[in-house]
Amino acid sequence: MLDETDRRVRFIRELEGTRWLRFQEQLLDHLPRLRRFAHALARNAADADDLLQASVERALLRREQWEPGTRLDSWMYRLMRNLWIDTVRAETRRGETFVPPDAGELLGTAGNQEAVVELGKVGVALRQLPPQQREAVALVVIEGFGYKEAAEILDIPMGTLTSRLVRGREALMARLGEAA
Amino acid sequence: MTIDPEQLMAYADGELGPIEAKRVEQAIAADPALADQVQRHRAVAASLRDAFAPVERAPLPDGVEAMLRESAKVVPLMSRPARSERPFWIGAVAASLVAGLFAAPLVMPRGDLAIENGRTLARGDLARALDTQLASTQADDAATRIGVTFRDRNQRLCRSFEHAETGGIACASGKQWQVERLYGGMAAPGAEYRQAGSPAAQLMAHAQAIMSGEALNTTDEAAAIAERLR
Repeated sequence: MLDETDRRVRFIRELEGTRWLRFQEQLLDHLPRLRRFAHALARNAADADDLLQASVERALLRREQWEPGTRLDSWMYRLMRNLWIDTVRAETRRGETFVPPDAGELLGTAGNQEAVVELGKVGVALRQLPPQQREAVALVVIEGFGYKEAAEILDIPMGTLTSRLVRGREALMARLGEAA
Repeated sequence: MTIDPEQLMAYADGELGPIEAKRVEQAIAADPALADQVQRHRAVAASLRDAFAPVERAPLPDGVEAMLRESAKVVPLMSRPARSERPFWIGAVAASLVAGLFAAPLVMPRGDLAIENGRTLARGDLARALDTQLASTQADDAATRIGVTFRDRNQRLCRSFEHAETGGIACASGKQWQVERLYGGMAAPGAEYRQAGSPAAQLMAHAQAIMSGEALNTTDEAAAIAERLR
């Protein structure tokens, strides 16, 4: 009985091991970009890094749901975006919609060194866009996804994506025009 | 010939096919305002990319990379210390502990688990099974079944167990058994058992990961249990 269990343990361990390692390595490569996306979505750096952490956690828990051979980055972007949307909805329910975004970014980094990144007018303007426009702009403009890929990540039709994208970008142009 | 704002943006982004792009180019040649708008699209896009580029280049925050590198196969039952100053994500994280991990409810009989000082301890029938039951002699229809028994890296005696669809790993802590992990949705041993990533496989993988040496054989298991009861 125990011998049987040992064999099973070893078998599963090998199977798990190789697949797991690949997943882990790829995810690690995508982390900087995913972090950038989190910072475009969230209203401040602390929430953004929490979002990154929560997304990686969820990805580890759900890694069997990712199909090897498909794009891990798209899967991760979708996962992160869905986590973010949950919190946006929760905020909206609590009536916290009008908290102004932070202008500066205090990036907590390895070794507790902190780097201040100035997002500038355009970054702040992005964070003031309605969530649906913000995610579309972040995916296409900052993350460089094509319209089709972005629509797939957001699970919306292409037409919906382009109309949100154009509204978001026109709002940004108008705001930056005012400021200039 | 009119060009709508979506087309113009798509042109600026290089998303149009050659024929449509040609059409937009002709319109732009005839209307400086359109050319101006394309330039503004590109300028805003460039400044957005510039604004967020430093985030991508910055070193990753503590924790995220470590979490990944440690490649914890499951999230500990004792979750990380709550960050009370930002309860924002705790909800999402807590939910993910359950829903993401198990995709199946944790079901243990009332009275089998107790939470004391942040530790989850075995009680009732579960504690009895961990205290006395041997994998080699247990009844096939025992409500709680013992899987592997082993010593972890701290030489604690640990045992995996299953109760209906819920499984877990408990390690001896004095007279008590501290439950280290719980897994919902354990398939009945059989065909699905070997499926990588299944709760049963995760449980086994974790047992293997914390195990020092090999799982105890029948004789050593019986000796370890008898010694503990003395």
